[in-house]
Amino acid sequence: MSDHYQVPETPAQENISFELNGEAVTRSAPSAETLLDILRESGQITSARAGCRVGRCGACQVLLDGRAVPSCLVMAWQLPGHHVETVEGLNKDPDFLSVRDALASESALQCGYCTPGFAVSLVAGIRQRRQGSTVDLTESVAGNLCRCTGYGGLRRAIDQLSAPGCPDEADGQGASLSENQ
Amino acid sequence: MVPVNNEVTERQAVRVMRPESPRQAVSFAKRFRAPYIAGGTWLQPSCERDRQWPAQLVVLNPDWPAFRGIRETDGGLSIGALTTLDELAHHPLTALYLPPLNGLIKRVAGPGVRHLGTVGGNLLAGGDLSALALALDTEVDVVGGKGSNRRPLARWFLDRPVSDLLRSVTVPDCRGWRVSVEKLGYRERFSPTRATVACVHDGEQVQLGVCGEGGSGRLMVTEAMLRDEGIRELTDLAIVMDSELEALGWHDTRLRLAARRMLESGLMEVTRDA
Amino acid sequence: MTHENPPGIAGNLTTLDGDSVRNSASKMDLTQRIEGRLAYATDQRHLPGLLYGAILRSACAHALITRVDISQALGMPGVHAVIKADDVPGLNRFGIVIRDQPVFCDERVRYEGDAIAAVAADTPEQARAALNAIEVDYQPLPVVSDAALAEQQIALHNSHEKHGGSNLLARETLECGDIDDAFARCAVVAEHQYQTPRQMHAFMETEGGVAIPDGKGGVLFRVGCQSGHRDAEQLADILGIPHEQVTVEAMATGGAFGGKDELTVQPAAGLLALKTGRPVMIHLDRFESCRTGIKRHPVSVKMTTGCDAAGRLLAHKVEAILDTGAYASLGPAVLENYLDHATAPLYRIEAYRVSGRLVYTNNGVCGAFRGFGGNQATFAVESQLDALAHSLGVEPAALRRINLRSPGDAGSRNQTVRWTAPPADVLTAAVASPLWSRHDTDTGRWLTGTGMAMGAQGNGLGDGLPDSGGGRISLSPAGRICVEFGFSDYGQNIVESITRSVCNGVGCRETDVEVALGSSRGPDSGPTSASRSSVLVHSVLASILPRWIGAVRGHAARLSGHPEEGLEFGPGGMFFNGRQVLSYRELAESASPDEMAASASRDFPVAPDSGQPVGRYLQLQIATVARVAVDRLTGRVRVTDLHHVTAAGRVIYPPGYLGQIEGAAVMGQGMALTEDMTTRDGSYLADNLDQYLIPTFHDAPLQRVDVLDDTPEDDPFPVRGVGELGIEAVAPAITAAIEAATGVRVRRLPVDPGDLLVAMAAKEQTL
Repeated sequence: MSDHYQVPETPAQENISFELNGEAVTRSAPSAETLLDILRESGQITSARAGCRVGRCGACQVLLDGRAVPSCLVMAWQLPGHHVETVEGLNKDPDFLSVRDALASESALQCGYCTPGFAVSLVAGIRQRRQGSTVDLTESVAGNLCRCTGYGGLRRAIDQLSAPGCPDEADGQGASLSENQ
Repeated sequence: MVPVNNEVTERQAVRVMRPESPRQAVSFAKRFRAPYIAGGTWLQPSCERDRQWPAQLVVLNPDWPAFRGIRETDGGLSIGALTTLDELAHHPLTALYLPPLNGLIKRVAGPGVRHLGTVGGNLLAGGDLSALALALDTEVDVVGGKGSNRRPLARWFLDRPVSDLLRSVTVPDCRGWRVSVEKLGYRERFSPTRATVACVHDGEQVQLGVCGEGGSGRLMVTEAMLRDEGIRELTDLAIVMDSELEALGWHDTRLRLAARRMLESGLMEVTRDA
Repeated sequence: MTHENPPGIAGNLTTLDGDSVRNSASKMDLTQRIEGRLAYATDQRHLPGLLYGAILRSACAHALITRVDISQALGMPGVHAVIKADDVPGLNRFGIVIRDQPVFCDERVRYEGDAIAAVAADTPEQARAALNAIEVDYQPLPVVSDAALAEQQIALHNSHEKHGGSNLLARETLECGDIDDAFARCAVVAEHQYQTPRQMHAFMETEGGVAIPDGKGGVLFRVGCQSGHRDAEQLADILGIPHEQVTVEAMATGGAFGGKDELTVQPAAGLLALKTGRPVMIHLDRFESCRTGIKRHPVSVKMTTGCDAAGRLLAHKVEAILDTGAYASLGPAVLENYLDHATAPLYRIEAYRVSGRLVYTNNGVCGAFRGFGGNQATFAVESQLDALAHSLGVEPAALRRINLRSPGDAGSRNQTVRWTAPPADVLTAAVASPLWSRHDTDTGRWLTGTGMAMGAQGNGLGDGLPDSGGGRISLSPAGRICVEFGFSDYGQNIVESITRSVCNGVGCRETDVEVALGSSRGPDSGPTSASRSSVLVHSVLASILPRWIGAVRGHAARLSGHPEEGLEFGPGGMFFNGRQVLSYRELAESASPDEMAASASRDFPVAPDSGQPVGRYLQLQIATVARVAVDRLTGRVRVTDLHHVTAAGRVIYPPGYLGQIEGAAVMGQGMALTEDMTTRDGSYLADNLDQYLIPTFHDAPLQRVDVLDDTPEDDPFPVRGVGELGIEAVAPAITAAIEAATGVRVRRLPVDPGDLLVAMAAKEQTL
């Protein structure tokens, strides 16, 4: 019975429409192309970087519908209808700015190749926390590898971002609890 | 490796088929001997490594009924195969039925991969969840060439046609059971499993599952011995457990020792004061 | 943060903590990196006409090549050029010490990363597809895979005159005193075998960059590298063009650690660029990087060390074998540094015979890697001291204190040494670590323990290697104080520390300074390696700043009419009586650039009493205290804390100093616990970051870095390089802590949890 199905034409190349940093884009790409290569091909996005191409280093991390994912594991066919954000599109986002300032003031990077990936993971964690979840930011970066720093500066930056009174907690319970005491 | 025909060397040449239904997916998979793809977090690394891609991929659609999400059923907790590992981790029903999963899941892949990777993919790759799934007597709901059917995961693992499509898994109502699960990796996070072990006490008996470098399975002989003799004779138990692990494929004696000690510790935990 | 010194320490002991970082972090460059705006070598995809290159690697670890046929590949879609050995117009060889590595192999392949041919095509996929169409016939040769047996096996380089007929590439023995007599007087002797792994650098940005033809026969390289000038020389010889026609601009590099010291993609990219007349990018993917890239030398060593009943070290014998793999790269220099560190530079030993052999095998290629053989030696030396302390029944720290050198003593090679603090004070500070007093009563699942090791490290390239470097300062037309050095920036905060030194020396502000690095057209500073940059930067600046300041001030006086003596450098320009009278831009506009420039080259400081640099003159020290928890169930080891006491001169840029120590330490922890590129028959068993596992955030311990600075006032070299210091003593500190926790001493790295578990189980049984 199954033999009666018509196999749809499945070109290896297709037009992929998705949202990139708030703008609708359409890219012609092979169906199984990685999001990482789609982003980098234009030359506009350089913050997502190939480190391993098997999803194990986090250097290509981007936000897919707000969740941090390695873009080398997202295939073109998975993109239509979804929203991709990279640090190029986050530079006015208050959560990104607090992450950026924490990383910079704690000198949490050296070569910087992995850093946008870390920033993306932290932004995702902070957004999740903003929505009311309990988030351990150290778990947000468990999939990001850094070879230079030994994570000391990152630990200090995460401490800063987890302290009561952080930007996203300013209107919430964190600040008011400390005032009530 | 995924058995495929018509392999290509570049991912750019892969053709993606989007079936309209699970039945059509099975039909495509059979006709083209093409693998299914859901999260792709396991398939892509192995294809990148081998520089060999299937000429076709059959895309699974999480919107198909029962393929994604977690719900309570008469038989227990039903988990759609396309539920992501992250959804599983954060679902309130997971906390209700399987509280120990909360500790384990942090050590399963990395957070980014957990957003993409699925429960079904993890089980089929022999990932960390399989030890627990086996110990819990999980049943699978499978769409095959001859329609759907339900059977124990352990049996399905033994003789699974590659075109069988996993729709969902059901774990029994394990609220109130004692469950312990423990992973040994190479490092603290984001490590392949060396040994993951699960011990389950349903109030009457103990069930043990393992997965990792020596393969996945249930320790039925050890369970039987526990039923008959309890855990009073730890030395004898160790000998039985050791030979059972070896028979499963755990050939490294040192790793067997670690797995055994983890199992013993789990056993103590689930049988304490029981 | 300065706190109360433990008793007996005269120098200044400071903890580098978050406050010292936050108060001094230079955020400009960091922000650019965080926002992903910094251009790395592998980002240059926008170049017009860019082609993508790919390199065909050997299918065998050891074989003769009988045929290479590129004809089919030439006709593949998108392909612009396919080249092989006979397309190399110049020298088909490269290598920093010995040029023994072919750009493209034509007769023989010696490891699985050997290059045979390369393709340039419109897309990376087309380039890879063309590689698949190149036909190569191999005639396999026996694989030399065991370094210990290599000298009895088929020679990899039998045509090579220097070591024809043998795989022994180099051997060296350092001797002092009468070792037989000294051993005869020993009350206790420890003899052990140690093994350290073939660690991979695992920089996050794999090797890559572009070669851009200038249309006149020359090539510009924009690549991740460590030594622009040296690379330019080698590349000119390969391309067969005059040196002036090769320019190397080191781009921001995503990590190096020694792994980009040797040429990587440059030869193939340059040849393809000349052949096609178009820019060519080659960016190795991680699989190819793992397979082809340089690794740390695995060392197998037997050490025999003895002391008298009072614990005084009398005799020390070392027999080491270093596996350099298929080509020499920096192997001979690594051997030399290994042996230097194996003489135990921190301790007085009456007699030693330290010998090592460096052999070729088909196991990849080994070369420069942070620590450079030194940390491999220190692992064994420090373990030996613990073994002797154990036999004598004394505290490891007590045994060390008996034997540590004093500041006035000569070095282990009888050379003059400049310490920046007495070694005994470093030990005292380490013994005072709060980690020792943390006693867990938990006898449950996790066994905890604390251990310590010390290490010394010299700055500079080492014995017999020409070592010098220059720099230049000028006022740019835009009024920026422009400082040029030939060093590369791969994240070691060199820009910030140069800026800080210039600001301190001149009195300007950070934004007035512009640092330009890594151009082979700029000053030759020598390689960015051997922790030498900071020392050279300081020496060169010490020479050029006064001259430059004098020239600029004189010019400013003429221009403003104010007397020279009253003119001060300040933020943005020159000040007189607290008021700005000239901006730097106005100054620049009023003179030709050469009028206000100064440059100098300095030889790297070596021990003044020897014509040839022998041993290390500028010595640094570290003591690392490690705390570990070992899982009784599985043998798994977690490093919970590392506390370092460093004596490495003055801290110029606190975030950089702290980051170097912390980063190197976690790298050393990786080497101690999980990292090894093991081979079977010359094939690597891991090929990506899902199999080669470096520490994650959750593996990294809490760390504390205390800086002890007691540099004598008259020391002309108060600034030292700390890029490698942090890795020196980590591994032996961790194994000492494991021993404290379990009673088991591990002498083979990385620690195998299975072996450890079995040894722990055996101990439990005997209890």
